[in-house]
Amino acid sequence: MPGVSSDSARGALVPLSPESPAAAVYPLRHGLKSPISRLSISWSRGNSLRVSVFAAPSSDGSVNDGDGGKVVEVKLGGGDGEISEAHWRRIAYGSVSPFALLQSRKNAVFSLSKFSMNSSPYDGDWWDYIMEYSKDINALLVNQKSASVPVLDDPKSVITKGEEPTSLKAAWELLEMFYAEKPSHSWLPERLVDWLADYDSLFSGTHPTVHSKLVDFQKELVNLQVVEDDPKYWEVMSSALAVGWLNIVVKMLRLHGSYRLDQLSNRETENGLVEAVAVLISKMPRMRLEHEAGKLGECYKAKPDFAWEKWRGQINKLDSSAFWFQCAHQQTREGLRSMLQIMLGNANSLCSATYNWIELYISHFLYMRPLTVGLESMYSLAQKSIQLKPMASAHRLMGLIIGILGENTEVVLAECLKGFGPWMVAHAIELLTAGSDHAEMLLHEERQNLGGISIEELHRLVYAQVLSSFPLTWQIAPIYLISCMKHGMVLLQRLLSKQPVQDNQLLLKSIEICRLYELHSVTSNIMKIAGVHHWKHGRKGSGVFWLQQARDEYRLNRIALQLFDSVGKTISDESFKQWEGLIQLLGSDSKTAGGLEFLHKYRDFKKSLRQIHDGKATDSARQAVESLISLMKNPSTPQRFWLPLLYDSLKLLNWKERPLLNVSQTNLLLNKLQELSMARLRPDFIESELPPQALNSVRLALGTNLGRAILEE
Amino acid sequence: MEKPVATLDKGAICSAWNYCGQRLAAGSVDGYLSILDSRDPLSSSFTSSFKFKVHEGCVVKVAWIPPEYGVAVACIAEDGTLSIWEELVEGTNPLEWKLCTSFKTSSKVLDVQFSVTQTSLKMVAAYSDGFVKVFELLDPLELKNWQLQAEFQNVIDSVTIVGKASCLTACISWNPQNGEGQESSFILGFNSDTPQLNSPKVWEFDPAHQRWLPVAELALPVDKGDQIYSVAWAPNIGR
Repeated sequence: MPGVSSDSARGALVPLSPESPAAAVYPLRHGLKSPISRLSISWSRGNSLRVSVFAAPSSDGSVNDGDGGKVVEVKLGGGDGEISEAHWRRIAYGSVSPFALLQSRKNAVFSLSKFSMNSSPYDGDWWDYIMEYSKDINALLVNQKSASVPVLDDPKSVITKGEEPTSLKAAWELLEMFYAEKPSHSWLPERLVDWLADYDSLFSGTHPTVHSKLVDFQKELVNLQVVEDDPKYWEVMSSALAVGWLNIVVKMLRLHGSYRLDQLSNRETENGLVEAVAVLISKMPRMRLEHEAGKLGECYKAKPDFAWEKWRGQINKLDSSAFWFQCAHQQTREGLRSMLQIMLGNANSLCSATYNWIELYISHFLYMRPLTVGLESMYSLAQKSIQLKPMASAHRLMGLIIGILGENTEVVLAECLKGFGPWMVAHAIELLTAGSDHAEMLLHEERQNLGGISIEELHRLVYAQVLSSFPLTWQIAPIYLISCMKHGMVLLQRLLSKQPVQDNQLLLKSIEICRLYELHSVTSNIMKIAGVHHWKHGRKGSGVFWLQQARDEYRLNRIALQLFDSVGKTISDESFKQWEGLIQLLGSDSKTAGGLEFLHKYRDFKKSLRQIHDGKATDSARQAVESLISLMKNPSTPQRFWLPLLYDSLKLLNWKERPLLNVSQTNLLLNKLQELSMARLRPDFIESELPPQALNSVRLALGTNLGRAILEE
Repeated sequence: MEKPVATLDKGAICSAWNYCGQRLAAGSVDGYLSILDSRDPLSSSFTSSFKFKVHEGCVVKVAWIPPEYGVAVACIAEDGTLSIWEELVEGTNPLEWKLCTSFKTSSKVLDVQFSVTQTSLKMVAAYSDGFVKVFELLDPLELKNWQLQAEFQNVIDSVTIVGKASCLTACISWNPQNGEGQESSFILGFNSDTPQLNSPKVWEFDPAHQRWLPVAELALPVDKGDQIYSVAWAPNIGR
């Protein structure tokens, strides 16, 4: 960003400050074999940059292989790897109406609040609007590609696959959870548990996760005969228990060999212990409103202190029971007891059962501090979890979570931008400003270092620029641009002025958008360009049409003048039709070029002349004569056309059958001719391009006509 | 991150995109001008649709004419000739590029830029003797007739004439903002042996006296005489 002058009202020029941060440097691949001699840079639509790279021309004239140059288009900020371009376009198109709806509601609320006494315009309705907005956008983020869902409830399948999750959806749900839902921090931990259940798989690429261990075990499960002998069975169950995936744990417990009918009699105690643990798990108290159907655990709306203590008491009782000594199978005994330790909130057990810090974090909420509220304590707990299980590499979702927990709006925005791109930031700002006055002030404040716009506006403009860079999405950029009061309109004008006009559909679309936002000068300019384009490419009718729409008198005048050039010349039928058509289109607007009225009349005259093919059709000839006389009498007929007119009508004047003009008419014409001869002596007279004997032939014809007419009378 | 959109023929030395970024004009060392288009408006792959000889020598610069005046390109040759070529359909002939006009003077043209004002199309050409000429198009539908409107040197003091200047390159950029009540202006800089000519100055048209006046000099006192290679005017988005 260039340095801004302090006194921008007067528009002083300020040199670029040398302390601006170093520009980012990106290598560019061009594929040329020869060394480069020149570069040419040009900005294209939106934020795409086009670079022409020229190879050094060979000095010795030898044929070198390779091309003379390459042109590359650079778009920074490449898309999300998890989301296809088509899906991204669907998201972009689908987000437009929720965004526009929210803006109009916002405007309505603010204009109302000016009249009411409320200090804050946010009320119950407002939260509903925000939730509606958030849910509408969330629905767009559903990934269409879902892995196949197994229809049969295979008893040996521990994980069912639904849709493939994307980080974008995970991120949006996080933001919705923390910002769009009415302050309900008491249930946040539980929401996080559900969130992790849906999205733990996203971390599997870069971090070890419970989900990946489950998936691996699932593959082995098919081949296992005796599950309870495999140590992984117990490990995986402990891990799943630690993150609260109770259904999976219970299902896996029921795979235990002691349930098999043929084993039941021998391993009664063992089975009893397994079942006891399963029952305890399914009765775990959870602080949430309700469960989805089929999920395990007991739900409590308020702090379930009593139920929690009771449950823990039951676990302790089982832990210290004598039945363990009677359990013959060692792995079962140890495995179940470690699961009990997890349920009792043993820190070491939890740490060893989880793989990354988020899982450890979640497990703390479930077993160690199930009643935690308040974001500060959540944040410090998160930091502790990270210390215990440091991140191997950064993951965009992890960065986002830390930013949200830290209640730092700027960090959240930065993480969104870095990890998820301009779309995310432009739309998430609405959520961030929903309930927090501080965030609203921060994001709506006009900043000098940004040129006087707010952060919110900046991100909307950035997003609009991204949209403008692609031919399939530029049409939705206007909606975002007009929501920015300061720079939006000008950018919109630039966007529309740079649209090509060759394609009719695109042209009409551009004009429609211009009209919608009342950009009259841009509209007429686009039409002017279209008109000139058509005119010069042989489509004269379309050209005139568009120039008329643009009300471009200047060019229409010129066209009319060009049409005048055809007066008095013999032109082919094709050209005549075109000429006639153009006159028709131009209308008889008397402002242009001394009156197109003359041209119209001349056209009619010419038409009637053409109808006379042989020397016989007297009626049409008479008509032609009438037109001629009226033309010559008419004061709007420019003098320079008199001779051409008369020359054109030589046929009429030399009519074989009978003289078509009577005495007075012939006298009129002779007088005009005389006037013309006088005028030719003046210095500023323009000679029309006729053969030199034209004047004489006309004079002769008129003279003959006069003689014959007198004889007739 | 980057995607190749076009491949230029051997000998290509300069290129310019038109106003909407849909056509590319490329000039080459053997005097040919190529026009590249994309077949499909949605695709971004450009191939040559026209190629014709514009000069005997090397084409050093190409510049598109604003679309309000047609589809046309101005080419500057190494010998300093400026020619304007336009894409036309005449009568029943097919679409082709025709020469509209050509300027040849004793001093070489170094750079040319076009601007659309309220009333007409203006062309600014910088010459190798340090002079700059402003031309105006008379007929909006024909690119043939240009009238010389002004001729001056790139110096603040208009009285003295710097003689015998020898300039290698020049660069011009018009102010893209042509709002109501604002006169058109452009910035001009030279790369020459005469320091007074070099520094970039902003020239604005004064309608009262029908002259071009320098309104600003964009150089710190230290590097006033430095050669200028390139200038560009940033679009104003509302500040």
